[in-house]
Amino acid sequence: MTSDQHDRHPTPAQYWKIAAFLAVLTAIEVSLFYIDHALGLGIFNAIMLLGLSALKFLVVVGWFMHVRYEKPMISRFFTAGFVLAVSLYLVVLASLGVVAIRG
Amino acid sequence: MSDIAHDAASSAGAETVSDPYASDAVAHHEEHESTGIENRKLGMWVFLSSEFLFFGALITNYLLYSNRPGFEGVYPAEIYDIPFTSVSSFVLLMSSLTMVLAHNALSRNDQNGARTWLFATAALGAVFLGGQVFEFTEFIVEYDMTLSTNPAASAFYVLTGFHGTHVAIGVIMLLSLWGISRRQGGLSEKHGLNLELVGLYWHFVDIIWIVIFTVVYLLSVPVS
Repeated sequence: MTSDQHDRHPTPAQYWKIAAFLAVLTAIEVSLFYIDHALGLGIFNAIMLLGLSALKFLVVVGWFMHVRYEKPMISRFFTAGFVLAVSLYLVVLASLGVVAIRG
Repeated sequence: MSDIAHDAASSAGAETVSDPYASDAVAHHEEHESTGIENRKLGMWVFLSSEFLFFGALITNYLLYSNRPGFEGVYPAEIYDIPFTSVSSFVLLMSSLTMVLAHNALSRNDQNGARTWLFATAALGAVFLGGQVFEFTEFIVEYDMTLSTNPAASAFYVLTGFHGTHVAIGVIMLLSLWGISRRQGGLSEKHGLNLELVGLYWHFVDIIWIVIFTVVYLLSVPVS
């Protein structure tokens, strides 16, 4: 990693802010779980929870794993593995017609 | 070996056969392939990429069986303790913060800071593992849900058990780096790369739990 890449990394204070953001997202997720139990949000709950989970995933990969600051080859490898796995298992789940999620 | 490294090795061998420093120069070249990324680092990213398939299979297996009716015994979704698991998830999430702070401290050559944050990461990982042991024990003792109770229970234990195994391996690697740092008074450049690789592994374990927490715990439907 070049010094230029290091210079563009977040500072410790920024890392704390990112962690606080992740903690807030987790709190929203748990709140949604209970709101859904009380009000029955249906498919909206599933969409919101999956969206929040995806956002947390991207924040950790982008900032904590530094993919934003790495060479494009690394993100290509990582994305390829992720897309391959998700595609494969969505096909499996769709083929068997069973997706046991709340919604 | 890449063409560039091979050329460097050839020229070094041809011009300075008896030069003791030539081998060091070649070794240095060998650490960097034509991609411009250290081999071990690229290897770690490829390994982590392949791990998506491993955990994807286990999550898919859980989704297939978690609320299929007709099994005997209790289903995992009926007995989840969401407040407890939420705290565990928060602990693992914050361990990613301490991990990145350790990496940041080492990049500033703050050896004490790196050592402290490394230990904090290992400690948070151990707390997460303790929570998982408590959860498993409660499920087995209080609810009589064992690995062989039904396919839903098996899928749950295999998925979360393998994730816990990954966390345990991560804790061992973190403590090893911490021990090396304590014994040698700091981490060398070589061990700095090791810390980066362990950090990547640790964050990966965290993102897998982000998915598990949502899909397995928050979105599972109890069988009515």
